[in-house]
Formats: sequence, structure tokens, C-alpha cells
Amino acid sequence: MSRLGTITRRTFLVGAVAVAGGVAFGTWYVRRPYANPLLDGLSEDEVAFNPFVKIGTDETITIIAPRAEMGQGIATTLAAFVAEELDVRLDQVKVEHGPASPAYYNAAMMEEAGPFPFFDESLMAEVTRRSFGTVAKVLGLQATGGSSSTRDGFVRMRQAGAAARIMLTEAAARRLDVPAAELTTADGEVIHESSGQRLTYGALALDAAAIEPPSDIPLRERAEWKLLGQSQPRVDMLAKATGAPVFGVDITAPDMLFGTVKMSPVFWREPANADLSKAEVVPGVIRIVPISSTYGHGFGILATNTWAAFRAAGLIEADWGTPDYPADSAAIDARLTQALADPASGSSMRDDGDVETLFADAPRERFVEAEYAVPLLAHACMEPMNATAKLADGKLTIWAPNQVPTLTAQLCASALGMETTDVTVHTTQMGGGFGRREVDFSIYAALLADAAGGRPVKVTWTREEDIARDVFRPAAKGRFRARLDDTGLPVALDMTIAAPSILGSVMRRTFPSISPVGPDATITQGAHDQPYSIANYRVRGIKTDLGVPVGFWRSVGMSFNTYFHEGFLDEIAVAGGMDPVDLRRRLVADYPAALGVVDRVAEMANWSEPPAEDRARGFAFALAFGSWIAQIVEIADTPAGIRIEKTWMAADVGIALDPSIIEAQLISGAVFGFSSAMNQEITLREGRVEQSNFHDYDAMRIHQCPTFEIAILENAEKMGGVGELSTPTSVAALANAVFALTGKRVRQLPLSREVAFA
Amino acid sequence: MRLTVNGKAIQIDAEPQMPLLWALRDLAGIMGPKFGCGIAACGACTVLVDGAPVRSCVMPVSQATGAIITIEGIGTPEALHPVQQAWIDEQVSQCGYCQAGQIMTAVALLEANPSPTDEDIDNAFGGNLCRCGTYPRIRAAVKRAAGGPAGA
Amino acid sequence: MRFVVALALLALPAPVLAQEAASPQGLAEWQKIYEVFSHPRCANCHTEDDHPRWSGAHYGPTRIHPFNVRRGPDGFGNTGLTCQTCHQETNAQILHGPPGAPNWHLAPAEMVWFEKSSAQICAQIKDPARTGGMDLEEVAVHVRDDALVAWGWDPGPGREPAPGSAEETFAALERWTALGAPCPAEESGE
Repeated sequence: MSRLGTITRRTFLVGAVAVAGGVAFGTWYVRRPYANPLLDGLSEDEVAFNPFVKIGTDETITIIAPRAEMGQGIATTLAAFVAEELDVRLDQVKVEHGPASPAYYNAAMMEEAGPFPFFDESLMAEVTRRSFGTVAKVLGLQATGGSSSTRDGFVRMRQAGAAARIMLTEAAARRLDVPAAELTTADGEVIHESSGQRLTYGALALDAAAIEPPSDIPLRERAEWKLLGQSQPRVDMLAKATGAPVFGVDITAPDMLFGTVKMSPVFWREPANADLSKAEVVPGVIRIVPISSTYGHGFGILATNTWAAFRAAGLIEADWGTPDYPADSAAIDARLTQALADPASGSSMRDDGDVETLFADAPRERFVEAEYAVPLLAHACMEPMNATAKLADGKLTIWAPNQVPTLTAQLCASALGMETTDVTVHTTQMGGGFGRREVDFSIYAALLADAAGGRPVKVTWTREEDIARDVFRPAAKGRFRARLDDTGLPVALDMTIAAPSILGSVMRRTFPSISPVGPDATITQGAHDQPYSIANYRVRGIKTDLGVPVGFWRSVGMSFNTYFHEGFLDEIAVAGGMDPVDLRRRLVADYPAALGVVDRVAEMANWSEPPAEDRARGFAFALAFGSWIAQIVEIADTPAGIRIEKTWMAADVGIALDPSIIEAQLISGAVFGFSSAMNQEITLREGRVEQSNFHDYDAMRIHQCPTFEIAILENAEKMGGVGELSTPTSVAALANAVFALTGKRVRQLPLSREVAFA
Repeated sequence: MRLTVNGKAIQIDAEPQMPLLWALRDLAGIMGPKFGCGIAACGACTVLVDGAPVRSCVMPVSQATGAIITIEGIGTPEALHPVQQAWIDEQVSQCGYCQAGQIMTAVALLEANPSPTDEDIDNAFGGNLCRCGTYPRIRAAVKRAAGGPAGA
Repeated sequence: MRFVVALALLALPAPVLAQEAASPQGLAEWQKIYEVFSHPRCANCHTEDDHPRWSGAHYGPTRIHPFNVRRGPDGFGNTGLTCQTCHQETNAQILHGPPGAPNWHLAPAEMVWFEKSSAQICAQIKDPARTGGMDLEEVAVHVRDDALVAWGWDPGPGREPAPGSAEETFAALERWTALGAPCPAEESGE
């Protein structure tokens, strides 16, 4: 395949990340297990069997769930992995995030960072996945993202539980002097049925930990599962229903100061002629210090309370400089349009058949052409960016709601000129993440701690700062054309997409000395990797730097490419006189999981029957983060505007580990997608973000929220992710419904540019 | 300055214009009410003052002369308020950051209207933003707490 | 001149008669009052439907107050989301923070000014059935003394105040009433 040839000649950005880590590859290094990070903090009557399981003689069983809990329920499912094989109940265990450690590397996230579609099981694709996964392990990159946590933990964490159980059982066998095969385990006890003897895990822990860990760890068959596959009460629910202080903003330490930051609203610029006189006299303000970092420049305020710091931030005056990047929406659009004018400069991420010839020699009436665009978006997590830091005796301690603990340690150390080993990162629960929680807020807190004379300082951003200094979902623009055959099916589809490289932007602010090279698969993610069989099918991505920092936003490239791809397929269906669902059925016929969700959702929504008067429906499909989803959105024309009335989703996740959490995630992702599609838009003026708070960057409210009907299927061979699964199709299906209702094909988001929502 | 929070009198040293939210969080160490926007646009900071829901991020502490109830004051893990129990039963929270505000709104709503309709719920909760999209389960939990049929 | 007026008298229906007889000074006083009443700081909460409105810098074109804020049974909002949930007794000092004044609420639906013409507002204010029973003198005193009305001239950071002042508007109402409280003719095309 020509596609593979193209790909192997290029260096992917992941390679640049590996270089940034400063590591050499070698079999020895790859195979070497990381040290167990739990061994450092153990008390005398407590043992750690491996990085995931701690047991105390007082029967305290602690499971480490080393992924960011930002609402997606990951702590519960990861704990269930361990508990399932350890034979303990979830209400018997304490679940902790644990320390920042390379032992908690995320291989699955990296495995899908390559250019291969999820369904591609060719040798090349598998080899690439394995080597990318190895990069993650070698780097020790502990990260939450890519809807990868359950896929990553599925084997490793069950093995951790099973290994501990085997060791506990062996300890019991020795103590009771019976063969291990005669013992069973349940609810934290080892049981010898015939003699009626029982030993608790706590009583066995010290002995068991001294036993050599097993090298062969058989895992239970699905039929034997007691926890996995069934809805579990979330381990974080009680705390969150009672207002427990579990978030980053809730950190309290003795003698703590409070602070905030005011960073230059013009990205990358250093402020000049600063006048701090008004800010410094605000009662409660202790000190204002300049901040310089790879993320940008500005000021940090130390105060006796957050409100004083906020007031002072608003009173800082400075010449913030002029932007060296497209300074407003027109300029951004011009830059993207200019990039699209030279499609050959892009990277072909998919190139089946011979697209050029098909378009060079075809009757115009069988063409469909369109141009789509999306704006920058902010994450607007409910909990604004924040971190708490303390620098004392040459050691830095950071409490941070973050998705990248090992990188946090590395970059905070680097900001203060310290060794990474002198930095301790505590990852708190977080009030939403959505891909936003990287390293900037931790670096700023570390720099403010440096000015706090050894006192801890909690640095909370204002909402205005949180919106203005986000790392945005990229603005993107695409130009598409299709050629239809006599039956209305596309025989050729050509998509060119211009967008900034997320990985390139991340590199600029984390490892600015390294110039990333090679294509970025996120630019075409959701366009090049879909299971549609079209004989001539080309998807090209053009890296288009816009200067504005861009980052991972729930569903990443799919947040716009599914809107592009599924919107354009809807246009193809209309042009070809085909039913949109029927068109998808034909195009995905080679993939049973895809066909399964398309058929199921059509049946649930009774698609073949027309909706009620003044109502219309839109459809979209996607293969997203390893799972397959088809979605139908029904909207109504009301005097107050368009209302989203109902949403049907059929999702095939391969293995449904926790149906209640999956259902919650599907609704969550849909509300997130609807919010963005209806009204959200970040615009620039003179290089500065114009929006500032929820009055001009709002999201879906309860009275706008539709009802949901959801089917979770398990036909797919591989397990997929769920955290970002429904966001892309929600945007696309809503846009397609708007067309069905109004006849307006809205090719530029948000939809409120052309229609009003109630 | 004296505040009455969750039935206890507390003494704080605050400027009169300081929003109640920061007096509670930074000065009194009461962390249930959350900072989300600072302009009464998200509801994460909602507390009850004399039984009525108030966005504490915009109420000057000097005007908070009534009885203040925060989420810590309605129930504890050992003795849950019926609304908190309903929140657990329906597994409402995802990130959980807005939920203290949502729960306080539910308490205020149910106090005045023991059997709210969907419309009553929409009218009460429009100011409480949830970025995780827990709205369908919030609806179900409010109805469950009201003793009505469970399920969204 | 007299001849022209007589012709007009014949041609026009009765209610307009009084207007034609109005002194230009009276209409000029009304114009000042109208500019206050129709100003967004006032009219945004004198709406016919269930919703107050938002407008001004950073708020985009005039729009329905978001967050599903509604009139409720008494103009003070709904249980769980009353006006006082967000609007305190004083303006929030932060930009985009909620404005505040005692008794923040929507005017009665019959006292509608939002998107109404000068003639319509004039007719309304003279009709005690649509002023909560207030006659013009009481309306004038209300405008002068009510704390929520006074907010219109002190609307907090980032908002354009209503023109003039409470005292000036009170005086204009007094003069207008003394001049017979004339209303303007409905503009053509209305």
C-alpha cells in the first residue's frame, strides 16, 4: 500500500516527544520494570504488593488508580480491575490516585497516536502501536487522555490484583499448612472450606509480601467476573454528595497564602511598562512578582485571601504588546484558507485508489463540493485552573488537579532549576478536565511558591484568566469534494483539512527547544480513520500554525473532523437522493460493529417513520477512540428557537466494564458536544480573547438538555474508550438535524451563526 | 464580623465588600461552596441564606446577616440529607464540582415545592451550570428526593 | 391656521384630538421621560413575556436573560432561582457581575416598555389599571424615591446608565403632568 510507504518515510511527532524525554531505546531499558513508587511511603504495618495494591495489618486495602479522576468515573473502574482479581468488595477498599511515577505510564494512549485507523490490524499498524506503546513506557509518561485509561489498565491492573491474591493465598497455605489449591478467596479473606478456617488479608499481608511475585498470572474469564461488567456505585460519590474537600481548590495547608495570576492577554508577549501601584495597595495583597515561563509571561499575586488577589489582578496595568500571529477571526480564516490553497503541501493520511484521476475526468453534475470551518474553543472546566505549591528546604511539593503528573514534576523542576527527584506531585480530583489540565498552572504555582518564603500558596485563576489563557481547541477549515455514481454512492471522496498541530503547540510550551517535525495525525483524526469503504478516498492534513496555543479538547481532532466528515456525508446523501442512514449502512458494510450500531440506533429512533410536525432528525456515525457510535438527534422548531428534544445513541464498546458509568459518559460527551455546536466560539481581537466568562461563553443548561435513550453494545472485538466517544457525533448529528429542520446547511460553527436555539 | 454558618456563630475579619464565598472558603475554611465564575453565572457557590438560595460569590459578606447554610450543614456521610441520599442513589455526580450548588438548589426547591414537575426543575436549575452534563440524573434525583417515581 | 386645525379636528378620531391640542413643551417633556423609560436599564425589566433582557457591551445584541431566568408567580423569579439568588442589594463591583438593588424584580407584565413605542408607553403610564393603581403623581414620586428605579442611573461597572437622573425625570413627569400629560401620535407604519 502506498499509504504505508508515505508514512514510514516520515517521522511522527511522537518521535519528537521521545527525544524530549531524553532517553535512548534499548531492549534492556524497555523490559526493565519501574521501581514500585509505593515502597517509599509505607508504614511498618503496611505492605505494597506492586504499584497498585497496598494492604495494612489493620485490613486497610488501598488500590492505586493512577489516572486523573475528572468526572469520568475512572477511579471506580480502575479499582474494580484490581478488586475483581483480588477478591475484595469495592466498599472494602480505599482508592487513591497515588504518586506521580513512571511506573504508571499510559501505553494505550500512545498506541493510538500513530496514523493507523483503529480497525487496521495490519502488521505495520500493530508494530507501530507496539513501538508507540513502548515509547510511553520508556518515557514513563503518566497521563490521562485519549479515552485510553481502561484499555491501558485492563490487563495490567487485573494482573496486579491477581498477583497479590496469589501471594496472599500462598502465605495462607504456608500458615495453615494446606495446599494452596484447597484455598479460595472472597471479600478480603483466604478461606479453607473443608476446615472452616479463614484468614484476613490484613493478617496475611506481611508474610505475603515477602513471597516471590508469581511470573504466571492467569486472569479470570469474563463469565467469572463479579464486579466488572456490572454497574458499580462510584467510589467518589459520597464525598461529592457531601461537599468533601477533594478538589485542587480545596487544598489547605498550615500558614497558607493565596494567589492568582494575570498573564499577558497577548500570547507569548512579555509585558512592558507595568504599573503595579494600584494593585499593590489592595488590602491583603502581599507581593506581586513577574512570571516568565514557557507558557507565557505576566504576573503572580500573593495575598492573604483569593479575593484580594483577584482584585489586584484586575488592577495591573501594562503594555501587553502586539501579537505576532493572526490577530482576529478574519485573519485566522485567511491563514487557513491560504493553507488550503496548496493542498499538495499536506500529508496524506489516507490515500486509497486514485482520487486525482476520478476528479480529473468526471461530469460536473456528479460532484459535491463544500467548505467547512470551526472556531477556537475553550474548555471552561467548572473548576478553574489552580494549583497549590510549597517550596521549602530545597524540595517542591505541588498539589495539582492535573492529567500529566510526571510531566508536571519534570517541568516544575525545570522552571525552578531543580532536580525532578526533589519534586513531589499530589494529583487531586478535578472539577472537569476535558484535556485542559496540563502544566501551566502548576508551573505558575511553583514560581509563586518560590516568592512565598517557604509558605505554601494556593494559586487559583479567575474564570476570566481561565478562558483567556486556555489552550484552545484548534480552529480548523476543510475543503471537501465527492464524486457520486449513478446510484448516489460516493466513488471518490477527497478531504483536505487545515488546522494547527496540537502536538506542535504542546511542544512549543513544554519543550520549546525542540522543533517538532512530521505530520500530526490529530489534524485529520476522525476523517482519515473512519471505517467507510470508498474506492477512491483521500484525506490530507495541512499543519497550519495559528500562533494561539492549542491543546487537547475532549475528542481532539474528532471534535471538528466528525462534523466535517459526517456533515459532508449528509450532503452527499442529499445530493445522491439517498437516506443518510442507508448511505452509512452501505459504506460500513464491511464492519459488523459499525453496521450494528447504525442499525440499532435507527431502530431505537424509529428512523423509517417521519418525526412529528415541526420536528426533524439528524444522524451521524463515528469510530471514535476504539468504540463505535451511531447517533440520532431530534430537534423541534419552537417560538423561542430550536430545542433539542431527544437523542438516541447506540455505542459498541467491545466490553462494557460499567454500564452506568458508560451511560453517564455518553450523556456527558453529548452535552459537551451540543454546548459547543449550539453557541460556543472563542474569537480574538488584536490577538486577545474576547470572551471572558459564562455570560459570553455559556454551555448547555438543564432546560436545554434533551432526553436520552442509549444502547450499549458489545459486539466489537476490541475494547474501546468512552470518555470522548459521543462528543463528535453529537455535533454532527445536531448540525444535520438543523439542515433537516430548516434547510440551512450550516458549514461553520457555532450553529447560532445561522439559527437560534431556545 | 460575625456570621452564622450551619448553626454556628463564627467570627471573621473581612472587608465588608468581600464576597461571602471567599469569607467562607479562605477565612472560615468551609470548602463546600465552590468558586466557578465570580459573577453569579454558574451556581457552584450556592448557599442558603435564611432558606433562600444565594450565589455566595456575589453577596458581600456584610449583607450576609441571615442564617447561612452550606452543603456541610445539610447532612454528613453518617446522616445524609434526603437530597444527598437521592444524589447517591441516582449516581448523579461526575466531576462533582458543581454538585454542592446543585444540591443546595434542590434543597431550596423541595422545601418550597415538595413535588416539582420537570418544568419546576428547569425553572429552578437554569442557573446551575454542569459541564459534565449530569442534568438527566439531577432531574431523576430531585424527583426521587421528592418521593416521586425514580428514573430519568 | 385656525382653519387647518379645524380640518384636522374633523378628520381625526377622538383620542388623537387631545394630542393635537398638546403643547409642544408637553411633548418635549414626555420625550425626556420616554428616553428614560425606553432605555435598556429600564425597559430590559419591563417586558411583556416571562423573561428579562440583557444588553450592552460584552453581552451581544439584546437577548433574553440566559440561565432560564423567568418572571415566576410574582415577578421575583421562581423557587430555586429567584432574582435575589443573584441580584443582591448593591451592584457587584466586578465587571459582568450582577447588578443589584433592593427588591430586584420584573415590573408587572402589563407595565410593558420593552420594544414598545413612545405612544404605547405613554398610554400605559397614564392608565392606572396598568401602573399598579398609581396615578401620574404617584408614578412621579415612585420614580424619584424607589431604590430599584434609582438603580437605572447607577447600574454598576460596564453598564450605560439611563439618561439624566431620578430627580430630573421626576421633574419632567411633574411638568409633563401639569401640561396635560400629552402623548405623541403613533408613528406611521406602527
